Amino acid sequence: MARAVLLAVVLAALLLVPSLVSPYTLLTYTSALCLALMAQGWNLIGGYTGYAAFGNVAFVGIGAYTTGLLMLSRWHVPFVPALFAAALVSALLATVIGIPVLRLKGHYFAIATLGVAEAFREIASAWDDLTNGATGIDLPVRSDSRFFYYVALALVVGGIVITARLERSKLGYGWVAIREDQDAARMLGIDTTVFKVAAFALSAAFAACAGGIIAYQDIHVAPDDFFKIEYTLQMIIACIIGGTGTVWGPPVGAAVYQLLSTYVWSHFLELHPTVLGVLIILFVVFLPRGLMDLFRRMAAVARGGRFGSDVFLANVRASRLE
Amino acid sequence: MSGAEVGQIAMNALLLSGVLAVVALGFALVWGITNIVNLAHGAFIVIGAYVTFGLHDFWSMDPFLSIPISMAALFALGFLIQRALINQIIRAPLLATFLLTFGLESLIVNLLRFFFRADTRSVMTAYSGAALALGPVRVPYIRLGALGVSILLVLLLAAFLTRSRLGRAIRATGMDVDAARLTGVKVATVYAITFGIGAALAGAAGSLLSMIVPFDPNLGGGYTERAFIICVLGGLGNVVNVLAGAAAYSVVEVVVGSRLPAFSQAITFGMLVLLLAVRPQGIAGKAFS
Repeated sequence: MARAVLLAVVLAALLLVPSLVSPYTLLTYTSALCLALMAQGWNLIGGYTGYAAFGNVAFVGIGAYTTGLLMLSRWHVPFVPALFAAALVSALLATVIGIPVLRLKGHYFAIATLGVAEAFREIASAWDDLTNGATGIDLPVRSDSRFFYYVALALVVGGIVITARLERSKLGYGWVAIREDQDAARMLGIDTTVFKVAAFALSAAFAACAGGIIAYQDIHVAPDDFFKIEYTLQMIIACIIGGTGTVWGPPVGAAVYQLLSTYVWSHFLELHPTVLGVLIILFVVFLPRGLMDLFRRMAAVARGGRFGSDVFLANVRASRLE
Repeated sequence: MSGAEVGQIAMNALLLSGVLAVVALGFALVWGITNIVNLAHGAFIVIGAYVTFGLHDFWSMDPFLSIPISMAALFALGFLIQRALINQIIRAPLLATFLLTFGLESLIVNLLRFFFRADTRSVMTAYSGAALALGPVRVPYIRLGALGVSILLVLLLAAFLTRSRLGRAIRATGMDVDAARLTGVKVATVYAITFGIGAALAGAAGSLLSMIVPFDPNLGGGYTERAFIICVLGGLGNVVNVLAGAAAYSVVEVVVGSRLPAFSQAITFGMLVLLLAVRPQGIAGKAFS
């Protein structure tokens, strides 16, 4: 009951944000929502399925280009259908790429996806006829920051609902089984390839939606602005901060990340990526299960449990080299 | 393609493979022994490049003479990072060490950008432009010297790993951590030394690269990727495997670079993905012996 009230209050607050802040500040909120979307997508393949995808930015870029090119095409597709088409195109491409790449394990998968993203950046830079090369394409102008905010918010809320439903579905249980022990999962009769490709394709669709929104809001799509490794990093960091393999982890992590990031931007512009590096290291070492795990433990304390510094050292104790 | 062109391409590939062999050996050693794919390897290379640049700029030290200094500095840094940081979480799932080294890379590269700016630097010496002419094929002296240093480092590493007590302890740890521990090997220290040697080799490669190519703090990322591809091509089996991988990769990079420069990354990674798809476990086994 308390949870339902909390959720209602948070949702009401989020709906009211555009009337409370300046259009410029609203951009920061929209970026946080887009990051949340990307993180929700990454969470499916990286969190639930346990495949360290390091190239999801490819689908942000593909989403941005597909949305933009459809809107500019001679059919002048409106934004929302273009966005859905972009998600579909991304998911299809992810399926084609995923079938060979998802056979790889561990480091090999991670680097292969990193390479796939690089390759897409090069293709976008070099395919002048379609993408206008390094110059990029210009989208129709729409200077209504509320519109972008509400579209992103709707998609993030949809993402939460979808993740929560998937978590308790055959698909979700299959992903977790693959993460814990792929051979055992296969022995249980799970078609691991189909499950993994499904996770990868869904994660691509989320990333494409974020890319499409950012593209329309920025009205310009160029290879280096969209196929940049920072996006991949940010979505993974957001997941780690919030907690991988949880429904609420990615949106919470994205919000916290955006908060920290904006603070660091405004106070130590030069050191921004340095601080990010430190943040990754601190979370990986001390809180690899993220804030959602911390909240759970704090809730347990409120019910009379014990809370010690153990929470932060548990990971080191469990995984250090003696 | 004329004969001279083919000759130049072959020579360029040979000269490139020397430095890439040093880059990849450090990476392969760390991967093979500790099972860490060190994404900060490229950042170590950049530090090495700046050490040589700094010593050359302030004290006019010959870049070749600064190689031992840059190796010593990076050995110390690598040893500390492994000891204080990576050893603490090394038994956590793969994503943890992967992300940790990614964080380190971001940290190092941006600190370098903060202190040295993003300006492109190069180390110019009196002999920078000079080249040996072998018929129609040009061989710059610097690249020749870099190849010589690379060969020396490869031989030293091979001798160290096979002949010395410490080298054998490192290989034993890579083959079986528990058995090595039972024979009295201090695994935490061996891991730190291994990581230190990997970083030192990156430092040497950075010093060599600073003489060959103009660089800025972003130089390293591409070399981490190259090192990974070379390891996949050659395997982590032993020094010879890595050398073969470096040679094969250099030929591809030089040929693709001279024919289709805009798609060089797409083509090399396409090949890598194809290769991995055919042999998902990589080309060779895991142990560095």
